[in-house]
Amino acid sequence: MAAGPTVKQIFQAYPNKIRLVVKNYPYKYRDFARIAAEASLAAKDQGKYWEMHDILITRSPKLDRASLIAYAGELGLDLKKFTESIDKGAHAKDIDTDLKLAESIDLYNTPTFYINGRQVVGDRPFEYFKKIIDEQLNKTQR
Amino acid sequence: MRVLLWILLAGLCLPTGLLAGKLEPFRDVPVPEQNPQTPAKIELGKKLFFDRRLSGDGTMNCGTCHDPEQGFSDGIDISLNYPTTRNWRNSPTLIGVAFQRSLFHDGRAASLEEQALFPMMSAFEMNQNLDFMEEEIRTVPEYVAEFTKVFGDGDVTRERVAMAIAAFERTLVSRDTPLDRFLSGDTKAFSPKALKGYELFIGKGKCTECHYGVSLADDRFHVLNVPENPEHLKDPRIAATRRFVAKISHFEEFRTLSEDPGRYLITKDQKDWKAFRTPTLREIAKTAPYMHNGIYATLDEVIEFFHAGGGKGNSALNALQLTSLEKEELRIFLEEGLTGAPIAFTPPKIP
Repeated sequence: MAAGPTVKQIFQAYPNKIRLVVKNYPYKYRDFARIAAEASLAAKDQGKYWEMHDILITRSPKLDRASLIAYAGELGLDLKKFTESIDKGAHAKDIDTDLKLAESIDLYNTPTFYINGRQVVGDRPFEYFKKIIDEQLNKTQR
Repeated sequence: MRVLLWILLAGLCLPTGLLAGKLEPFRDVPVPEQNPQTPAKIELGKKLFFDRRLSGDGTMNCGTCHDPEQGFSDGIDISLNYPTTRNWRNSPTLIGVAFQRSLFHDGRAASLEEQALFPMMSAFEMNQNLDFMEEEIRTVPEYVAEFTKVFGDGDVTRERVAMAIAAFERTLVSRDTPLDRFLSGDTKAFSPKALKGYELFIGKGKCTECHYGVSLADDRFHVLNVPENPEHLKDPRIAATRRFVAKISHFEEFRTLSEDPGRYLITKDQKDWKAFRTPTLREIAKTAPYMHNGIYATLDEVIEFFHAGGGKGNSALNALQLTSLEKEELRIFLEEGLTGAPIAFTPPKIP
């Protein structure tokens, strides 16, 4: 699901208060989930993670190899490096580590957020996050 | 003759709306004879309720949308969904569900045993094949042992899975609310504002016309014309879900259906077009957002909806003429007066 706009809204509402750590959880029953995760990390290597992330969300489910390379072209990435990276699975280990982490905490839904340990499953409106973030900020400021 | 005339006139002067129902304090839940409650069955049901094996891809369990941390609902306008799909209605709370005579917003299931299998099979919820689910559960020795203990032999059937889940669900009750204490004779059970809100609830607010009995619901269906969420109308995944449900409900124009027909899909009776089941109000403060499509995020919005006489063109409600203070008192009653002792819950260990 597309939680990206909500995440951006959170950053705007809480400047310098939020640290976001993204973990990959490519859904096992989708053909291109894994290669799309590779593509996002290959774009990250070239400083365009969020740009690629946004494209992947808006163009999904068109996430086959050729489409991913075309998106990299749109972002002005070095296509040779990008293609090599996704073809050889340069970030396979990182993705596997994320998957193992997810399984170890019994996490199976995407997106799932942890806000200072508080689990939030699914794409939810900004107000939902705001309530929890405010509670957590109040706690830490006490 | 004169007496008859007076009786007739008195009858004509009665309000055209519904008559208020009687509020009742908590009492033990009704249990069907064919599915008696036992501690072992409840425990088995709890494990199955939280077991992801009940979903096709192993990502969802019943607790995904009926989360103990969120009043056994999921805190979102429309319920969570099977990956890549979207649901179309709000996840109803399971608190007090044992008192309901029908389940789902459209009342299509008559018992919890019948209800439990629907979401498992539903393409946009758990999307599981029930024959496959039975075999999956049967491969787990701990489950076979528990089925033997509960049902006398180790056969895992969908009916038994549903019976165990229903037994667990019957334990989810709201009790010892200020309203329960008040109805049992404690005149000081409410705060002053909640007491005013209670008086509005049974009086000027006309809430008890539909919200009465133990579960504060009349087990009936009403056409209030709750607005559709414009965002939902634009989402093609929700359109697919709506059309799918209409299609399997044998609604002929399913491909052009652009709104939720509610109970009509079940009865095909025109009076049920956009009719939805009256929900319980117990623990209402924990189960936002509200209405069948979760269109209202707060109780204030819900009160405003009823204050204004409901949705456009409905004939079930009249405007209430509540003052700002009365609206606040009503909200305080709903929040304080209907919130009971926390439901004790320990997450199960899934085999």
